[in-house]
Amino acid sequence: MKTTPPRWADRLLETFVAPHLLEDVQGDLHEVFYKQIETDGLFSARREFVWAVLNYLNPFFLKRKPQPNAFPEQSNPTNTSMIRNYFKIAFRNLVRNKTYASINVSGLALGMTCGILIFLLVNYHLHFDNFHPNSDRIYRFVTEQHRETTSYTYSVPNPFGKAFRNDYTFGEKVARVATADDVVLTIKKGREIRKFKEGETVAFAETDFFDIFNFPLLQGNLKTALSEPNTAILTQKMARKFFGDADPINQTFRLDNKIEFKVTGVLKDLPINTDRKTEVYLSYNTLKQYNEWMASDDSWGGIRSSMQCFVRLRPGISPAEVEQVLPAYVKKYRPTNKNVHHYKLQPLDDIHFNARYGGVITKTNLWVLGCIGLFLIFTACVNFINLATAQALKRSKEVGVRKVLGSFRGQLFWQFIAETGLITALAIVLACAVSGLLLPFLNDWFKVQIAINPIANWQLLLFLPLLALVVTFFAGSYPGLILAGFQPVTALKGKISQQNIGGFNTRRMLIVGQFAISQVLIIGMIVITDQMRYSTQSDLGFNKEAVVMLPVATESSVLTMKTLKDQFSQIPGVQTVSVCQAAPASNENVWNTSPKYDNRAEDEAFSVSVKAADDQYVPMFELKMVAGRNLFPADSAKEFLVNETFTKKLGLKSPGEVIGKILSLNDGNTKGAIVGVVGDFHDRSFHDDINAVCIASAPDLYGRYAVKINMATVKSTLAALERTWSAMHPNQVYDYQFLDEQIGNFYETEELMLKLIQSFAAIAIFIGCLGLYGLVSFMAAQKTKEIGIRKVLGSSIGAILWIFVKEFSRLILIAFIVAAPIAYYAMSSWLKNFTFRVDLGVGIFASAIVGTFLIAFITVGFKSIKAALMNPIKALRTE
Amino acid sequence: MRRSFLGEFEEIVLLVVAACPEEAYGVTIWEDVQQQTGRSITMSAVHATLYRLEEKGFLSSLLGGATAERGGRRKRYFALTDAGVRALQDIQEVRSRLWQAIPPGKFQLIR
Repeated sequence: MKTTPPRWADRLLETFVAPHLLEDVQGDLHEVFYKQIETDGLFSARREFVWAVLNYLNPFFLKRKPQPNAFPEQSNPTNTSMIRNYFKIAFRNLVRNKTYASINVSGLALGMTCGILIFLLVNYHLHFDNFHPNSDRIYRFVTEQHRETTSYTYSVPNPFGKAFRNDYTFGEKVARVATADDVVLTIKKGREIRKFKEGETVAFAETDFFDIFNFPLLQGNLKTALSEPNTAILTQKMARKFFGDADPINQTFRLDNKIEFKVTGVLKDLPINTDRKTEVYLSYNTLKQYNEWMASDDSWGGIRSSMQCFVRLRPGISPAEVEQVLPAYVKKYRPTNKNVHHYKLQPLDDIHFNARYGGVITKTNLWVLGCIGLFLIFTACVNFINLATAQALKRSKEVGVRKVLGSFRGQLFWQFIAETGLITALAIVLACAVSGLLLPFLNDWFKVQIAINPIANWQLLLFLPLLALVVTFFAGSYPGLILAGFQPVTALKGKISQQNIGGFNTRRMLIVGQFAISQVLIIGMIVITDQMRYSTQSDLGFNKEAVVMLPVATESSVLTMKTLKDQFSQIPGVQTVSVCQAAPASNENVWNTSPKYDNRAEDEAFSVSVKAADDQYVPMFELKMVAGRNLFPADSAKEFLVNETFTKKLGLKSPGEVIGKILSLNDGNTKGAIVGVVGDFHDRSFHDDINAVCIASAPDLYGRYAVKINMATVKSTLAALERTWSAMHPNQVYDYQFLDEQIGNFYETEELMLKLIQSFAAIAIFIGCLGLYGLVSFMAAQKTKEIGIRKVLGSSIGAILWIFVKEFSRLILIAFIVAAPIAYYAMSSWLKNFTFRVDLGVGIFASAIVGTFLIAFITVGFKSIKAALMNPIKALRTE
Repeated sequence: MRRSFLGEFEEIVLLVVAACPEEAYGVTIWEDVQQQTGRSITMSAVHATLYRLEEKGFLSSLLGGATAERGGRRKRYFALTDAGVRALQDIQEVRSRLWQAIPPGKFQLIR
C-alpha cells in the first residue's frame, strides 16, 4: 500500500511555492501527513494533505524571493542566462554610445522604411484581379494594328465579340464591355436635378461579364438584371452617391440627358485590387441608343478604345489554338484595309503589367523598384557593418575577458548577433511607425489605395520578421566574426589596432559600394530633371501659355458653338476663342486615318492625325504658316491645312507643292483642297515622333473650346466663362483645364519617377553620409595621437585636414568610376522612351560628382576640422 | 525603523514561538496554535505568518540539519529576535496599563 502523499499535489506544491520556502513547507506537510496516517488513516491523511496543499496556492507563497545576489545566473544558471547577458551588455553599449546607436538605428530604420513601403507597393501590384474563379482561363481580346509601324490597342472591332461567340465554341463565356467615358448622369429628385460627371465609371456590359468576373450582386437577380433595355446595376458606393440612403432599386437616372435607365440591381463595392473601374453597368442592348455605330454588327471598319471583349475559354483550350482561327475575321471583314489587324488573347494576369495594352505598371518597373529597395537596405546594412567594425576596437577588452573566462568563438559571435538583433528590432519598430505615417503620401503619389490590414496582408506579417532576420545576419555577421576572432592576449593588452581588425579594405569597399549606389541615383535624378525641363519648357512649335480648354457639350449644334464662341469673346479678359477637336498637342480625341493624296491610285501607307479646328486655331496657337494661307471660316471640311511632316512623308521636295491638291480621307467621305502648310509642332508628347497632321473645319468632331485669356484677370475671367457656359448648357457639368497643365500631364509617369528617384537619392546619400560621418569620427579618435605628433612636429592644419580628405575623396572617386557606366547605361535606355531627348553630356556626370563631394565634405568637414584644431598637448597626454 | 504593528494572529504565533519549550518549527507551532486557541487553522496560514514575521524582523530562522525523516527535508527553526521580544513586551505593557486604568466599578458592570 502506498504511504506517500499524492504525487500530483506534491508537484503542484513544487511548482507554486517559491523555491526558498519550499523545503521546509514541504517537509512540514509531509511530517504532518505521516503523523495523520497513524491517527486518522491513509485516506483521510491524503485528503488532508491535498487540502493543505491547495491552501498554499496564494500570492504570498507564489512570490519569488527578491534576488539579493548581483549575479544570480551564476548561482542558478539556466539556458537563457547567457542570452540575457548578451542583451544586457548590448543595451548598456547602446546607452553608452548614444551617437553611434542613433546613427545605426536611424540609418537602418530609414533603409527599412523604404524597404517596407516598396514591399507594400510591389505586393499590392502583384495581387490584381486574382479573386476571379478560373482566372487562368480568362483572357482579353486585343489587337495589333500593322501599318508602316505597329500599334497596339486593348480593344477589338465592335462586332468581334458577338461573331466569336456565334462562330466558335472555344469560349465558355464571352462578354463585351463598352465604356461610356466622360458622360453626365442626371438624377431627378423631386424638383431638384442632380448632375454627376462620370469619367470612367460607366459602361455597357453584357450579362456574361458577371459570369467571367467575380463581382457579386447584393440586390437583384443577375440573370435578369441586365437583360432588358434601359436597365442598370451599380455599386453600393455609386448608389449612395446618387440616391443617398434611399433604396436604389427601381430608381431612375438619365445618361447624357437622353437615355433613361432603371436600376435593377446593386453590386457589392469593387475590391481595390481590380483594374475594372466601371461602377455603373448599363444593359448592353441599350448601346444602340447611345452610339449606333458601336452597337452595329457590321462596324468592322475601326476600333474604338472603349470597346473591350473578355472571354473565359473552355478548360483545355490553349490561347494559341484560338489565335489561329482569328485571322479569318480579317480576311472576311477587312480584306483590303491597309491597317492589318492581328487579334490576340491577353491573359488576365498580364493586363495589369503590359504597358502596350494600357497596363498600370510593368513588371520591369516593379523589379527596378524592388532592386532600389534592396539597395537601400543594403546601404543601411553597410553602414552598420562599418560602424560596428570600427566600434569593435573599443570592445577588445570585453572580448579578451570573455575569452579568458571560457567563451567560445561561436558564443562571442552569437553575442554580437544578439546585439545586432536588438538594434534591428529597434529600427524595424521605428521603420513600421514611419511607414505608417508615410503611407498616405505613397498612396497619393502612386494613385493607389494600400491599406495596412494585418489579417489580409499576411505577406507583410511574414515579410517584417524575415526582413529583421536577414538584416540582422547580413549586418551582424561580419563584425561578429571580426570580434570573435580576436586573440585574447593581444586583446587584453589593448594592442589590437586598426590593422588587426583587418578588413579595413573590406570596409572601404563597402563604402565605395554605398557611394556608387548614391551616385547612380544622383545621375538618374539629374537626367530625369533635365529631360522634364526640356519636355515642358522647350518650344513645342505652338504657344501653350494662357490657354484654357473648355468642353464642347455633347450634341451642341453648329449654331450653339457659334453663339457660345461669340459670348466668350465678349467677356473682358478673353483675347481669342477657337473651337477645335483638341489642342495642338493632345492625347485625347485623336483620329488617325489613311489619307489619299491628289490623284494617286491608293491610300498612303502612313496615317495622318486629323485635327478639326476653325479659322482661329492657327493664329491663336501661333502656328507658323510655311506656305499657302490659313483656313477660311467654314462649317464643313472643304479645305485642309497640313504640316511639313505630311509633305515630307509624301516625298515632296518643297512644302509648297501640296497647295491646291485634293486630299481625301475616310474612303473619300471627306474631301477638300489643301490650302496651306503649317510648320511642324509637337502633336504628341516628347515620347513620340511628330505625326503627319492635317487640320480642317469639321464641327461634328469639335470637342473643346480653346480660350486665350489675359493672365492679369484670370479669376474673374474664369468665373465669367463658367457662368456663360453653364447658362448655355444647364444640364451639363462644366470643367476646365489650362493647356500647359494638360501638357504637363503627358509626363505624369516621369514626374512620379522623378519624385521617387529624388527621395531615393536623398535617402541613399543620407545613409551614406551617416556611415561616412561615423567612419571619420572613428578615424579622428584613432588618429588623435598621430595628429598630436604631427602638429608638434610643425604640420599645418591644412596638411592634417588632407589626411581625412584624401581618404574619402579617393573612395568617392572609385565609387564614381563604378557608378558612371552603370548610370550611363541605365539612363540612356530610359531616354530611349523619348523621341525628343536631352544628351547625356559630361556636364551631368561632372555635376553628380561635384555634388557628392560637396555633400561628403560637409559631412566630414566638421569632425575633421575639430580633430585638426585640437590642442596637441591634450592629444599627447591621453594615455 | 518604522515600527511594525502586530495583528492578533501574528501576536499569537509570536507568543507560541516564545512559549515553545524546545526548538520551534512549522509543525510544532501549528499544533500549539491550534491547541492554545482551540481554532482549526490551516498550516499555510501559520507558515505565511511565520515568514511575514521573519520579514518584519520579529523572528529569525535557521535551517536545521538534514535528517532521515520527512524525506530528508530540513526543518526551519524559528526563534524570537530582540525586536520580537520588545514588541511582545510593548503589547503586554499597553494592555496592563489599560487594565489598570479600568475604573473598579465599571468592570463589574460589564461583567
